Amino acid sequence: MQSLLSIEWLKVKRYRTFWILTGCFAFLLAIWNYGISDGFLKMGAGDVNILSQAYSFSKVWSNLGFWTSIFVVFISVLIIILTTNEYQYRTNRQNVIDGWSRLQFYHAKWFVVLALTVATTLFVFLLGLVLGSSNGGFSDFPGDIEKLFYTFVLTLNYYSLGLLTAILFKRSGISIGIFFMYNLIIETLLKSLINWKLDFKAGNYLPLQCSDELLPFPLMDMAKTMLNIKDTPSMTAYVIVSFVWIALYYIIGRRILMKSDW
Amino acid sequence: MEPILSINNISKSYGPIQALKNVSFDVPPGCVFGILGPNGSGKTTMLGILLDVLKADGGSYKWMNYDNADEARRKIGSLLETPNFYHYLSAMDNLKIAAAIKQLPSDDRLDVLEKVNLTQRKDSKFQTYSLGMKQRLAIASALMGKPQVLVFDEPTNGLDPVGIAEIRELIRQLNAQGHTIIMASHLLDEVEKVCTHVAILKKGDLLLSGPVDEVLRSEDQIEISSNDAQQLLTTIKAMPGIWDAKISMNTITLSCDENISTADINRYCTDKGITLSHLLLKKKSLETKFMELTNN
Repeated sequence: MQSLLSIEWLKVKRYRTFWILTGCFAFLLAIWNYGISDGFLKMGAGDVNILSQAYSFSKVWSNLGFWTSIFVVFISVLIIILTTNEYQYRTNRQNVIDGWSRLQFYHAKWFVVLALTVATTLFVFLLGLVLGSSNGGFSDFPGDIEKLFYTFVLTLNYYSLGLLTAILFKRSGISIGIFFMYNLIIETLLKSLINWKLDFKAGNYLPLQCSDELLPFPLMDMAKTMLNIKDTPSMTAYVIVSFVWIALYYIIGRRILMKSDW
Repeated sequence: MEPILSINNISKSYGPIQALKNVSFDVPPGCVFGILGPNGSGKTTMLGILLDVLKADGGSYKWMNYDNADEARRKIGSLLETPNFYHYLSAMDNLKIAAAIKQLPSDDRLDVLEKVNLTQRKDSKFQTYSLGMKQRLAIASALMGKPQVLVFDEPTNGLDPVGIAEIRELIRQLNAQGHTIIMASHLLDEVEKVCTHVAILKKGDLLLSGPVDEVLRSEDQIEISSNDAQQLLTTIKAMPGIWDAKISMNTITLSCDENISTADINRYCTDKGITLSHLLLKKKSLETKFMELTNN
């Protein structure tokens, strides 16, 4: 694992796109959340800032988790670019010609996904520490920290679906297009259609939706409590289903790479 | 001696097109082995299969005594089709990645770049290279770690005449140092100049394979001429052992039995009172052979 990852590091460490996208992700996620907690970025109608109170430790992880679930798309795109670059430059072939097995090539990319997932989670953790401690101190620490684990699951889901999309479509433009179309439109349509047709909310278990359910818009929790809505599927179910999808991406990608011509 | 590479009944199709049909041959150690064929004959497909970027439909191959093909590939320097490098990295950084995958114990990047005259541009990004420089870098990458076996697909592609001559010289040197070289080419001239062994492919069929000398030996031709070409033609046609004589531009080209030498012909003509002004033993060129084999 270490040697595969160190070779992947050689590929990205002087790649400007890599630094621009990771930099934008980190900077924007930080400034966005700081903006809400500080009150200069207002979520709500008029001058009301409905989220500003929620950055103390009891709620900081839900807030950060929700916004991370939107910002991770940046890094998914980065993973798509890193993978389709290999096809475009035909370096996937060269890596194998030079002595990697096809599986090693595939695992190297999965290790990149894992490494970026861990890095994202760590960054969110640090951000949470800073925001939480400056909004009410450490008295409530760690608060709803299970949301940090959900952030990890969701991030892994988004990044690994990015990898699979790149392997399926091979060209960066089409892969990014399909990824966005699926994420923003197709899944929402499917989810609504399925949930409308069935009594059981099966649409919530679609590939990305099952992880999105783990980190809803922060006020949803409050609204649900106020309206006394009993949450039907448990978080554990969503976590398990997320991992099932992730395992499925792995298996599908592996089958494609092992059997096809490169 | 054990072959460097053994190919056994390899077949491959792309949909309805059969790119390789049960091809088998061995590559002996220490040779320069040319895989020759017109465009689309299956050369690159064959090398792609041998390097595991393409999957064969049937058949098998074995590199040296390696049971693990991945391990074998780390000991082989290869250039397949096009130079494949990360466009945004320099030559040095690109070679570092290849060296890490090959698990090379020592860093000989500067040596190999020197060999292909890229030292001055070692820190330039790959995307700024000309086609010829990209090709040189690919050759440099193949040379890292002094592999026992080198596989080159169209190695002189995109090079200028000086570059072509340099690469040919490099191949000869490497072969003299004991490296086995397998190269695919559609350039007959190239194969004729550097190869010791050849396999000729046509639309996926292996037409023949063997040492270049052996493949060509029975195909020698003798050229003669004299002041009166017509008289010479009549006379020489009557000579025993000559089975064909063609005249063009006052020069007669003979096809004859293997045991007839140029001395025999000279003696025969002198005995008949004809003085030859031109007598030349011509190995039938690979090109003629190639055209004959592939054109019908």
